[in-house]
Amino acid sequence: MIDFSMYGKKKPEVCAHKCPGCGKLYYPAPMVCDDCHERRDPAGVEHKRWEKVSLSGPCTLLAWTRLFALPEGFDKKYLLFGIVEFENGLRASGNLLVDQPETNMKLTAKVDVIKEDLGEEVFGFQFVAPE
Amino acid sequence: MGRKVAAVGIGHTVFGNLSEFDLVDVMGYASLNALDDAGIRGKRDLVEQVFVANMGGGIINHQTGIASSLVSRIGIEPAMAELVENGPASGASALKVGYMAIASGLVDVVMVTGGELMRTITGWKGTDFVATLLHPEAEYKYGLSLPAYGGMFTRMYMERYGLTERELGLVAVKDHQNGEKNPYAHVRVPCTIDAIHDNENAHVINNYVAEPLRLYGMCPVSDGAASIILCAEDSPKMKEFTTHEPIYISGISSATDTHCVHNRKDPLILDAVRLGAEKAYKMAGLTAADISFAELHDAFVILELAISEEVGFFERGTSKDALTRGETAIDGKMPINTSGGLKSKGHPVGATGVSQVFELVKQLRGQAEKGRQVKNPKHGMAVNFGGFGNNVVTTICSRGGV
Repeated sequence: MIDFSMYGKKKPEVCAHKCPGCGKLYYPAPMVCDDCHERRDPAGVEHKRWEKVSLSGPCTLLAWTRLFALPEGFDKKYLLFGIVEFENGLRASGNLLVDQPETNMKLTAKVDVIKEDLGEEVFGFQFVAPE
Repeated sequence: MGRKVAAVGIGHTVFGNLSEFDLVDVMGYASLNALDDAGIRGKRDLVEQVFVANMGGGIINHQTGIASSLVSRIGIEPAMAELVENGPASGASALKVGYMAIASGLVDVVMVTGGELMRTITGWKGTDFVATLLHPEAEYKYGLSLPAYGGMFTRMYMERYGLTERELGLVAVKDHQNGEKNPYAHVRVPCTIDAIHDNENAHVINNYVAEPLRLYGMCPVSDGAASIILCAEDSPKMKEFTTHEPIYISGISSATDTHCVHNRKDPLILDAVRLGAEKAYKMAGLTAADISFAELHDAFVILELAISEEVGFFERGTSKDALTRGETAIDGKMPINTSGGLKSKGHPVGATGVSQVFELVKQLRGQAEKGRQVKNPKHGMAVNFGGFGNNVVTTICSRGGV
């Protein structure tokens, strides 16, 4: 039997947003460019749509914590979190999957399932040791 | 700068677990304490406008229209009433809006009441509720919370400035010394550096919550309310307020910063704190050297240190030295968190900013309890920190004629 649900299913990714006016990259997306003031129109009707640029790969760990006070919905003893900087200068927060983190260590950002919400998989950044 | 605005009445409830009570009753209790303090319980119609500060009534208590409910509960209809929400800085924002309403000439007498009931839900739900102020896609969905950013900020600060866990513990010890003597404080238990750090078993009562921040590096989750009545100095209604020396709001301002912490060029620099304080100093015609004492938003103890540097009390990286020399203790050169701070007094998010200014007024009137009264203070500063520093309100209060 053909599994139709697989049609149109894209590889999950987290994207940066590129200003069509000056090319500046943002994560997450603003509604207007800080530099050239180009507007972003999420529907792409009245103003230009901004190109999405997949964000993942090599990054450096800037800050991290092991959090024991988790919000509802995270059934774990603790989770590790970090802020990383990508090679293009963009930064992101996300889950850190490294046993002994150290500030400034080199990591790889991948996008995978970070939690399930009422049976739906939620995707986001996981920062792991480079292979 | 508009009209001169005086605080003429202050009220507070105890901070702690008030989950058996109703949110608007708790706010109403603090409001009536303020009306009593101002000596106008029987002349409540003097209040023309109420601003209510509350962050989570709609989420936690499943209640909206809270400002309208409060005016009716305390019998001051038809006073105008609105809700002001700015996360954990809702209290000071409501006070700022109250100041603006008077300075504009629209009204002469304003009541500002902040309150929150957070202990009616579990800790997990409470953490989730506060985390809803983070960016939904880039922060919140991961399980990131305010304590997580507090932990990451603390580690960056420790690595850059050589701050130790023991020094972080000393902030809590100092806050508890003041909070123990504050009848409104939530956690009035004594706290020693031996118990929370030096003793080999200290970790048993002081485990990690968001490494490197431990339990004693975090404020408790609290319920409570505080209220302040403001009057224009040039109003004929000012003569109705004779019970206490008026204390003036000499400077009040705020500033914002990026929603996502990761988008700050240097995440250790708190622009919203510094810029809000600079504007408040300018408005008051004062500098950091003129401030006699301060209430700084120590939801995490690191924030007391970082904010004290950002507002200009100390050079970057040196506040820990001032702390260990005792300069920020009640009898030091720059007493900080004389109320016990958020760490000991507690942090009902909507109430905190109003409670901080309640403390400024109490100290400037000379009414603080024995052992926690600053000697002859002239100007006090409060910093109410919203988000993780993305919307911060600074208030300076002064005695008249100084």
